[in-house]
Amino acid sequence: MQIAYYPGCSLHASSELYDIQCKKVLNQLGIELKEIEDWNCCGATSASKTDDFLTVALPARNLGIADASGLSEMLIPCSSCYNRTLVTQKILYENPELKNKINTELSKKVEGKIRISSILDILVCKANSGEIAEKSIKKLEGLKPACYYGCLLTRFPGDIKISDNIENPRGMETVCKALGAEPLDWSYKTDCCGASAAVNDTDTSLFLMSKIIKDALARGSNCFVTTCPMCQMNMDAYQDQVCERYGIQKKLPVYFITELLGIAMGFTPQEMHIDRHFVDSLGLLRELKLI
Amino acid sequence: MSTSVLQFQPESSQTLIQEVMDRSGQNLLACYQCRRCAAGCPVGDETGVTPDRLIRMIIFGEREEALNNLLIWKCVACYTCGTRCPNNIQTARINETLKQISKEAHFEPILPKVAAFHDAFLRSTSHFGRVNELEFMGLYAMRNAKRELKHGGGWKAVADEIKKHAKLGISMMKKKRMHFRLDKIKRLFEIKRLYTKAKDEAGG
Repeated sequence: MQIAYYPGCSLHASSELYDIQCKKVLNQLGIELKEIEDWNCCGATSASKTDDFLTVALPARNLGIADASGLSEMLIPCSSCYNRTLVTQKILYENPELKNKINTELSKKVEGKIRISSILDILVCKANSGEIAEKSIKKLEGLKPACYYGCLLTRFPGDIKISDNIENPRGMETVCKALGAEPLDWSYKTDCCGASAAVNDTDTSLFLMSKIIKDALARGSNCFVTTCPMCQMNMDAYQDQVCERYGIQKKLPVYFITELLGIAMGFTPQEMHIDRHFVDSLGLLRELKLI
Repeated sequence: MSTSVLQFQPESSQTLIQEVMDRSGQNLLACYQCRRCAAGCPVGDETGVTPDRLIRMIIFGEREEALNNLLIWKCVACYTCGTRCPNNIQTARINETLKQISKEAHFEPILPKVAAFHDAFLRSTSHFGRVNELEFMGLYAMRNAKRELKHGGGWKAVADEIKKHAKLGISMMKKKRMHFRLDKIKRLFEIKRLYTKAKDEAGG
């Protein structure tokens, strides 16, 4: 099956590994990702904090391109891009005047028909259908992830209905269980890591991350697993600083959900680019004899 | 911060409420101060001002306090306040609107780095249609440096900031997470047209 694919800027740069992993893993599950042509940046939260028109217009251009692709579904793995695009689709549906205004500037017009999916929307289906277990050649025994959703996968600046629970989502746990891992219950799964505050208001972000890491450790987790490139980058690249400042002794690798799938499916760590993490992420997998 | 008693300012109250409601699309008059938003706000402890308080400031017509407080700059846009509000008020949207009005009214941002970050992000998008992390961080660093030099932070503040980002940059390079390839879209003219229209929409 072919579906449209919007990687977003992160997956073309600092989180390229996530892009590679998504393509390989979904291919194993029978899904071919067709990157939409000439996509642009979604504007992320920066647009909404700066300009109301661009907040809608930037994702709208991508929606027009996606609609023109002729495919019925589009995967957006980045939580921020997913959030902005889904909200824009709803705003344009409710506001035809704005839609027309934006469409006059676009060569590929928004029709609003493509279905937007997060990576979990797809993976949970594949877990429930048994396809993930079927394609896995290893059980991820001993892996006790704290499934970290962050903000933008479940919370939207508007009335958007999603299939998971907003306060206590379980989708990532469903996928982890299908892989044979033992996801733990914990309290900070939808708390904020600070996102861009890591760069522009570092103290605030380090404090928020310290609470998340402390709770995961207190519950006995041995790693984080996430679907958001921003959460992944922050929790991974800044973990050293957080641990130093808040006296946290142990560090936890921060995996993308896709690399855990990849390992279970028998891909090598090189194929999954697991060496591109800041906190050592190969050690735990070796210790558990998963690689 | 701001635990001062709010004063009702009838002359500015109505215009401020109307402007914020129109631009944010949020019915802030529906707020009955249950403070569920405040309980969930991850930066509320630090800012002193919580989303409920922000709404109160607007309703009371405290224009200056509403446009110039720590919450509008420290808000991490986690949208917890909005999803927990029993009356469906997206305070984060109100926050974004206040940030924009504050800029238009030429208030100096309390956290200038936050303002510089988002401005640089949108600027970067306008250049290539996509955000190139190196170019974006360069724009951001330049904005910060300009401000520090103008407002007395001096070269030391500039150097400290650059050192901080360089450290992250170096570890990103080691982990092959830094990209030097320039990602540019083909129909960049469409993005330029959208930016022009955005300017028109905002009234030039």
